[in-house]
Amino acid sequence: MVEQLLRLKLRLMGNAFKRSPWQLVGLILAVVYGLGIAIVVISSLLGLRFVGVPVAASAVTVFGGLLVLGFIVVPIVFGVDDTMDPRKFSLFGLPTSELATALAITALVGVPSLVVALIALAQIVTWSRGPLPVLLAILGAPVILATCILCSRVCTSIAAFLLSSRRSRDLTGMLGIVLLILVLPVFVLLLNANWQRDGLSILGGIAAVVGWTPLGAVWAAPSDAAAGLIGQALLKELIALVFVGLLWVVWRYLVQMMLVTQERAATARNYRGLGFFRLGVTGPSAVIADRGFTYWVRDSRYHVSLLAIPVIPFILMIPLLVIGVPPHVLALLPVPVMALFLGWSIHNDLAYDSTAIWLHVASGTRGFADRFGRVIPPLVVGVPLLVIASLICAPLYGKESYLPVFVGVGFGILLTGLGLSSVMSARFPYPAVRPGDSPFAAPQAVGSASAVIQGFSFVVTFILASPTIYLAYLTVFKSAPLGGLTLASGVVLGGLLLWTGVTWGGHIFDRRSPEILAFSVRN
Amino acid sequence: MKRTSGAASVKSSTTSGGTPARKTPVRRPPASRPTSDKAAEAPESTATDSKPIQKPRTVTRKPAERPKPAEKPRSVEKPRSVEKSGPVEKPKSTEVVLSIEGLVKRFGDTVAVAGIDLSVTAGSFYGLVGPNGAGKTTTLSMVTGLLRPDAGKVIVHGVDVWGEPVVAKRSMGVLPDRLRLFDRLTGAQLLYYAGTLRGLDADTVRDRTVDLASAFGFEDALNRLVTDYSAGMSKKIALAAAMIHSPRLLVLDEPFESVDPVSAANITELLRKYVEAGGTVIVSSHSMDLIQRICDHVAVVVHGAILDSGTMNEVCKGNTLEERFVELAGGRTSAEGMEWLNSFSD
Repeated sequence: MVEQLLRLKLRLMGNAFKRSPWQLVGLILAVVYGLGIAIVVISSLLGLRFVGVPVAASAVTVFGGLLVLGFIVVPIVFGVDDTMDPRKFSLFGLPTSELATALAITALVGVPSLVVALIALAQIVTWSRGPLPVLLAILGAPVILATCILCSRVCTSIAAFLLSSRRSRDLTGMLGIVLLILVLPVFVLLLNANWQRDGLSILGGIAAVVGWTPLGAVWAAPSDAAAGLIGQALLKELIALVFVGLLWVVWRYLVQMMLVTQERAATARNYRGLGFFRLGVTGPSAVIADRGFTYWVRDSRYHVSLLAIPVIPFILMIPLLVIGVPPHVLALLPVPVMALFLGWSIHNDLAYDSTAIWLHVASGTRGFADRFGRVIPPLVVGVPLLVIASLICAPLYGKESYLPVFVGVGFGILLTGLGLSSVMSARFPYPAVRPGDSPFAAPQAVGSASAVIQGFSFVVTFILASPTIYLAYLTVFKSAPLGGLTLASGVVLGGLLLWTGVTWGGHIFDRRSPEILAFSVRN
Repeated sequence: MKRTSGAASVKSSTTSGGTPARKTPVRRPPASRPTSDKAAEAPESTATDSKPIQKPRTVTRKPAERPKPAEKPRSVEKPRSVEKSGPVEKPKSTEVVLSIEGLVKRFGDTVAVAGIDLSVTAGSFYGLVGPNGAGKTTTLSMVTGLLRPDAGKVIVHGVDVWGEPVVAKRSMGVLPDRLRLFDRLTGAQLLYYAGTLRGLDADTVRDRTVDLASAFGFEDALNRLVTDYSAGMSKKIALAAAMIHSPRLLVLDEPFESVDPVSAANITELLRKYVEAGGTVIVSSHSMDLIQRICDHVAVVVHGAILDSGTMNEVCKGNTLEERFVELAGGRTSAEGMEWLNSFSD
């Protein structure tokens, strides 16, 4: 059975390439990327062979723990598309143990497994400093591989099985954001630490803890042996082996359960009335805007991008703080950055609708109405947000009289961005996460188009808004008295560009709506 | 049933722009046709079929060799009820609501639709049957303006769908197959959305939502998210959304798939009344029984071409639709060589 399933997996991969050459490009990129990481890690591990035991121990243990953690977190948060889901074999009546074994072995085929295998081999070299360390490292290599693969199998299954209802999938999206926000201060702490002086002791402290957890034990065991702590080393190796055993039991149990359990039915919730639609303004643009608001509230894909908008400026600030930019200058950052991302947020709005866009096409909705309706939610949210942010940031910068400059730049970039997005989303939609999928999941089709379009949208927004930005620059850095003009430029020029974008995008939509639908059917 | 003279007349008339002058003497507004179609058509097949009945049969077996697969026989119906001894028989309307000419669609090398001609008169309940992958969905997508054809013309109520899409789409209600809905809206919101996009005002939409919900039986689901609906429920809400603006023509792709029998009966009843009032319905399905039961006209689509079309009686020729379909499509294989299936493995 192992052989059959291996062949099945290879065939599935092969067929994926037949679907589109981009899949092949995707795999090649993944292999190159994976091998790149592997080469960096392996050369570091080889280099650590010639470093003192405490340093090597800390580095290997912390890195190893992170690696295993990755195999746990990634499947749960990002939701891996599992081609070898145990449930797919439920009708064949295969013995559970055999199936569990075979599925675990097929998981060896793949870029991540290859990279881990290479790394597991390299850590043997790191600990080739005496018979016992080498022995433990050699014993550890298969344990590392088994730990990583079983972790990912178990977590993928949990994600696909226990977290399969729509509501819990939405929740994992939120969970991801919360995690991101929680991890942020940790990074700030780490960044602020004086690595030159305390680096090793910090790393050593972390390693001491991680080494006793199942995540790091297998990596720490040879190092303890090399340091002469033989009892400790054997204990850690034991922890690692027990962990693999436990993972196996859990995996087998999951397979057994998944084979006979029905998919969890979502418990439906009742909503009252028409929600945003109750606002009563009719007309296509108004209801399309109402729908936009409703989706912002209910669709986790929008949650992610909306919650990211206030967070991004702070993420950008961290490296700037680290390289020593004065804090009050950083107060210039949030307003334009938030405006940029708000304007950019709808640049692929059509793809988010997926094939549901047929309703607009079949009802003969005018492109202008479609484009205009989609611009309203970011405008309604963005305008007050930018005003409030300006009210906070201007005093932080130390010049309350610059308020018009802040507002002008914010509006200029927001309106320009929305105008450009209206054109881009009608003309150049690219595959997006499908409705109901995890917001972090990668869209099915891999393509370089998305990166080009994203980058292009950003750059062109800047270029189009540059007159306003230049006026703001003169005001702030050259002390020219152009605050009022900046505000006027932002509103007028931005408004003009928004109008142009919506009209032009509307024409494109009118002309190309069947092609847009065909595009979303393909993805 | 393939009356050649009729076919010729259709051609000349359709080219003259959609709502053509029929050779039929009496043209009536759709609403004035209270008679049941089946009753009206019954005598006709016997009366007119005697000679040409063999010819189309032999030809239709090989769709590729037929340049014009469906010579729209049924659009040229004579004032047919005359011979029938019904008390309130009235001539059928012959206003062409939908006319399709030479529709072609290719996807790469595969030809999905290979030149379909069809014309549908007001007040008909038209069934499109065919095996999976026959091109039914592709055809209906091109009719409704969702998929751009490679060649051909679609005229709905006198308006070219691909020339003046905005005008043409106004008179159509569409239920596509296998496309998503805006499923993060509740049922009520989705209907409100669909109705408003179709230009209805808020009060009208609310009233119609209540009516549709009770007609289709989803009152208690109106406030739930569409994404939490079952497949049948989603179908029903999409069907309701297709009807909310009271269109002249309903184009329904697999409307009864995964809909429970009671709801299906209700919907059928609703559609019948709509047709009696002069509305026109096109449904696609691969359920022959269903189509034979509810439709008065039928077209058989195989490999992207129409093998036969006309009133139900014309096409069936006394058989069931399924028998006739199998005969036309020729896809039946006998179960030879499968004897092992009958010797059970344990």
